Amino acid sequence: MATTSKQYKAIGEDLWKSRTDKINSELFSLTYGALVVQLIQDYEDYAEVNKQLEKMGYNIGTRLIEDFLARSSLGRCSDFREVGEVAAKVGFKSFLNITPTVTHSGAPPPSARPTSTVQQSGVPGSSFILTLDENPLAEFVELPDEALEGGLWFSNVLCGVLRGALEMVQMQVQVEFLSDVLRGDESTEIRVTLLKYLEEEVPVGDD
Amino acid sequence: MSHHLFLLSPSDTPIYSLTHYSTKLPQPTSSSLSSNLPTWSTSAFAGTLTALSGASSATQSHHVQGGAVRMGGGQDRHVIQMIANASLDVIEDVMRKESAMYLKSVDKFNEWTVSAFITPGNMKFILLHETKNDDGIRSFFHDVWELYLKTMLNPFHTAHSPIRSIVFDTRVRASAKKYL
Repeated sequence: MATTSKQYKAIGEDLWKSRTDKINSELFSLTYGALVVQLIQDYEDYAEVNKQLEKMGYNIGTRLIEDFLARSSLGRCSDFREVGEVAAKVGFKSFLNITPTVTHSGAPPPSARPTSTVQQSGVPGSSFILTLDENPLAEFVELPDEALEGGLWFSNVLCGVLRGALEMVQMQVQVEFLSDVLRGDESTEIRVTLLKYLEEEVPVGDD
Repeated sequence: MSHHLFLLSPSDTPIYSLTHYSTKLPQPTSSSLSSNLPTWSTSAFAGTLTALSGASSATQSHHVQGGAVRMGGGQDRHVIQMIANASLDVIEDVMRKESAMYLKSVDKFNEWTVSAFITPGNMKFILLHETKNDDGIRSFFHDVWELYLKTMLNPFHTAHSPIRSIVFDTRVRASAKKYL
């Protein structure tokens, strides 16, 4: 049975409301801001800071997905398009109380085959773009010039979270920021591209 | 008629400064007074400032929209800063006695009055102005305070670093235009 977009929104809303431990958003923003500033002071290289934020996010994501699936009791997504819908409407909503808009795009069509109008959303290469209209991580933040020139993606931890979470459900994805309002762009956009579906592997060392 | 705003950190390092030329006309009484004074005294007034600053261009180097009679009043940057610094001692004295944040006019120097505002975090906002405008100045200080709070919440801003944000600057100017 196909769950509609509205139902996803309702599920997300319910999950957010049923959470009893909520924290003050200012505290959250200040803590994350302090974390990023400290990383910058420690590594002194913005590309490295981006990488570390992504790694931290990855660790968070691998754990977060369990919590998410347990609470939402949603089944396996039928295709990658649905993954995008669920991530935006249920995932982001239940953890950050924001609902980014999703824009899907299928795999680039191979030139030999006749073009079909149906989007192939299960094919590696398909992607979706999440557009965040508000970002609780970056309240009150203004990037200094060095950070702008150095190419810092302030909220890069979100990319890691998405990558980690999806890897735990057998999807290998590439997640990256396309634009960020902190950098002066019009909107904050994250693109998630499916690389491949992971097969179940026997853990190394198990015989 | 101009106003000079200085924001000082608790250790008295300058964080931000702004000069604002008000489009509001100064009080009519003061200008008529100045025109009544014989010319020798006005030139003596200007003379004080010239003597202090040591520059001969103390008079009318800027075009002001107000258009009223200018007494060559402290256009020179050095004089302004000297007045502001001198008032710091007075502010500290008053600070110990009064617990209110807005200290009205703490000091007077020739035609410049110094008003101060002390935040709970011991930041000092100092405003040099020529005319009396208590309510407007109080609202202006509150506005600047709120803008300052938002800047403080930026994780990239450290307690004593100068404020370079353009957003802050624009908003302070807009607020100055509104209240002063």
